[in-house]
Amino acid sequence: MNRRVVITGAGLVSALGDRPASLVDALLEGRSAIRPIEGFDTAGLGVRVGAPVAGFVEKTYLGIKNLRPLDRTARLVVAAAKLAADDAGLNIQSLRANEAGLALGTMFCSVRTIAEFDRRAITAGVEYASVMDFANSVINAAAGQTAIWHGLTGLNATICGGLTSGLQALAFGFDMIRLGRSKMLLAGGGEEFCYEALAGFSRAGWLAMPEEFAIPYDRRRNGLILGEGAALLVLEEADAAAARGATALGEIKGQAIGFDPSRGKDPASAANALERCIREALGEAGLEPAAVDLLSASANGSVAADRAEAAAVKAVFNGRTSSLPVMAIKAMLGEPVGAGGALQTIAALEALRAGVAPGIAGLGEMEEGFGLAAAAARREISGANALITSIGLDGNACAVVVGK
Amino acid sequence: MTGRVVVTGLGTVTSIGVGWPEFWANLLAGKSGIGRIESFDPSKYPCHNGGEVKGFDAAAYMRRLRPDSVGRASQFAVAAAWLAVDDAGLDMAALEPHRVGVAVGTTSGEPNLIEKFNDSFVAGRMDDVGAEFLGQYPCHVIAGHVAEELRLGGVNITIPCACAAGNYAVSHAFDALRAGRADVMLAGGSDAFSRITYTGFSRLGAVAPEKVQPFDKNRKGMIPGEGAAMLVLEPMERAMKRGATIYAEVASYGISCDAHHMTAAHPEGDGAARAMTMALREAGLGPGDVSYISAHGTGTPTNERLETIAVKRVFGDGSNAVPISSVKSMLGHTMGAASAIESAVCSLAVYKDRIPPTINFQEPDPECDLDCVPNFSREARVIVAMNNAYAFGGNNSTVLLKKFAA
Repeated sequence: MNRRVVITGAGLVSALGDRPASLVDALLEGRSAIRPIEGFDTAGLGVRVGAPVAGFVEKTYLGIKNLRPLDRTARLVVAAAKLAADDAGLNIQSLRANEAGLALGTMFCSVRTIAEFDRRAITAGVEYASVMDFANSVINAAAGQTAIWHGLTGLNATICGGLTSGLQALAFGFDMIRLGRSKMLLAGGGEEFCYEALAGFSRAGWLAMPEEFAIPYDRRRNGLILGEGAALLVLEEADAAAARGATALGEIKGQAIGFDPSRGKDPASAANALERCIREALGEAGLEPAAVDLLSASANGSVAADRAEAAAVKAVFNGRTSSLPVMAIKAMLGEPVGAGGALQTIAALEALRAGVAPGIAGLGEMEEGFGLAAAAARREISGANALITSIGLDGNACAVVVGK
Repeated sequence: MTGRVVVTGLGTVTSIGVGWPEFWANLLAGKSGIGRIESFDPSKYPCHNGGEVKGFDAAAYMRRLRPDSVGRASQFAVAAAWLAVDDAGLDMAALEPHRVGVAVGTTSGEPNLIEKFNDSFVAGRMDDVGAEFLGQYPCHVIAGHVAEELRLGGVNITIPCACAAGNYAVSHAFDALRAGRADVMLAGGSDAFSRITYTGFSRLGAVAPEKVQPFDKNRKGMIPGEGAAMLVLEPMERAMKRGATIYAEVASYGISCDAHHMTAAHPEGDGAARAMTMALREAGLGPGDVSYISAHGTGTPTNERLETIAVKRVFGDGSNAVPISSVKSMLGHTMGAASAIESAVCSLAVYKDRIPPTINFQEPDPECDLDCVPNFSREARVIVAMNNAYAFGGNNSTVLLKKFAA
C-alpha cells in the first residue's frame, strides 16, 4: 500500500535568505547573490565570482552549543534542519519520538575537510592530522552530525548524484515514506563553497569564464557560477501529519531518477534521460503534462545541460511549452550543487502559493529552438502542480512532481 | 508480482580472489589477504599492513572505458559489475537499458584523485590539476562509470554511508525493484585503498600491526582494505522465467541511526539492535530463525564488545546458538565495499550451506562470548543469513538474505 507524502516544513540557508518567502522575494526582485570571491585566493583558477552564503552566522540558528566539531557543510545543514523542524512544529524530543530520518543530498559533503585532513598529514606529518577532521572526512559526515544535533534516530542516508544529489534525496525520501519505511524524515541537501570545489569546476571547464555569463537558456551563456547553501523539507506520511495537526505546505506526488549512459557526451541521450524521468514522475503522480502549472528548472547557464533540459521539456510538453511558466532560480542563486533540488522545490511551492513566478534575471535572447516560456520578467501563475527537474553534467537526471 | 526480490549474480574483486568462485574457495580455506602496503610508502605510519587487491589488471575486465580514464574504485566496480552480469547470465541486449539500474555504496569515492590534487597543491603545481579531478573524483562517478560501461539508463544512485554503504545500496535496490522502478538492479559497493583512510584510522589508533583478530581477547584493531562487490538483483518472477540460478532471496532490511557520536557506536548497541529487529519484523522472522550472522567484526577492541551487546539484546538466550563470523579477519576492512562483499558472502552461505570462518582466533574474550566460527569454515544448513554493518555517522544496517524456495 503506497502512502501519501506531504511536506510539513521547509528550512533553508541560502545566498538569498533563510526563509522561503525571503528567498522568493529576492528572486522576484531579480536580486543576484553572485559576487566577487573573498576569503581565499583563486589566482590561477581563472574564476572571479561565486554565490556563497555571505554572512552566515551559525549562532543565529544553533545557539551557543559547541560548534567546533562541525565543518561548514555540516553547519549549513544543521542550521537548515533546525529551520525545517521549527517550521514543521517539531523539536528534538518530537523528532526523536517519531524516529525521524534524514536523506541528505550532497556532491562532495566537505571536500575541503577531506583535503585539509590529508594536506596536514603530508606536510606536517601523519601524527598531526586531525582526528576530528577525519570523522568529518566521510561523505556522510554532515548527515551524521545533523542526526546527532537534532536526535534523528531513523534511517539516515546520504545521496550523491552530482548536481542532482539534492533532488535525488527528495525522491529517495519520498520513497521511504511512501513505502512505509519512515513516518517522518528530513530530505534535501547541502553544499559548501570552497577552493577545492571551485578548482574542480574551473578545471573541468564548467564555470562561466573568463567573462561570466551564467544566464540560464540565454544564447550567450557560457557556464555556471558556483553557489552554496543547504535546504531541507520535512516529509511525513499524510495521515500521521494530519493526526499531529501539522499543516501541509504541499505534497510530493511522483519521482523518477534516471541516467544518460553517454554521460553527457551525446546530447540526444542526455535529453532522453531527463525526458524519461519527467514522463515517469508525471505517470506516478497520475498527471498529464497539461496538468503541470509550473516548471522549476535545473538550468544554470551550462551550455549543454541547459540545452538537454530544454529539449527534454519540449519533448514532453510538445505543443504547449509556450504556456508552461518556467523559473530558473540558479540565474540568481548560482549553482548551489547539493542544495539545488530542495531550493528549486521550496521556491516553486512558494511561487505557487503566492501566485507569481520569478523571472530569469538577465535573460536576453533565449537560444533558438528552446521555445520555453522563460522570460526576465516575473509572471502571474495559477494552479497547483509544479515539476522540478534536475540534470547533471555527467549523466544524472531526476524529476519530482509536487503539488500545493 | 509478489514483490519478492532475488540475487541472481555475484561479482567480487577482493584481496583473496577476483570472481566469486576463487574468492569463496579462499574464504572457506581461511586465506588472508593482508600484507605489507604497496600502493604508497607506509614507513611513516606506526603500522604497515593493508588488505590491497594486488596485481589487479583492470584492462582484463573493462570492455569499453579505458582503464586509465577512471579511478581505481570505478575500475573495481566496473569489473565487479561485468562479473556479476556474466555470472547471472543476463543477456544485456535483451534488456531495456533504462530499466536496469545501478546502486553503489562507497566510503570515499575516488580518494586517490584528491590525494593527487593535494600533491599538486602542496608542490605549488596546481596547473597539474586538470579536468580529471572533477571528472573522476566525486563519488557519484563510480555508479556513473558502471552505467556508462554497461550502457545502463535506469535508476542510478550512489549512497556513501561510510562502512555500511554496501548494505544501503542493496537495500535501496531491493526497494527500487519492489516499487517497480527497475527490472534489474546492480547493487554493491566499492572502495580503493587510500592514504587518507589509512592516516585516519592510524590517528584513531585503530589499526592493528599485523593481522585482524575479531572476537579474540587480544585483538588489536582493524586493517584497512579495498575491493568491490556487485550483486544482480531482480524480481523472483523474472529470474524464474529466465531459468536463472537463484543464490538467495533478499528478505528484508533495517536501517537506523544512533544519533550519538560520529565515530563511536552507541554503548548499549541501541541503533544496531533496532536495525536487526526492524529487519526481522519486516521478514516475519524471529531471532531463532537466523542461521548465520555476518558480523561487522572489524577487529577493534570496542567493536566486537559492543556488537556482542547488540546481538545479545536481540537474540537473548539464543545468542550463543547462532554462528557469527567476520570475513574482515581475512580481507581487512574494505570500507564501503565491505557490506556489499558480505552480502555476496551471505548469499553464498545460504546457497552453499557453508559458513566462512573468523581466522586468527586464539584466545576467547569473555566479553565477546559468541560462536565466532573460529579458524575453520563450517558446513551447516543456512536458511537465513543476517548481514550487519555499522558506520561512522552512527549508521546501522542489517540485510537479511534467505534460502530461496519458490
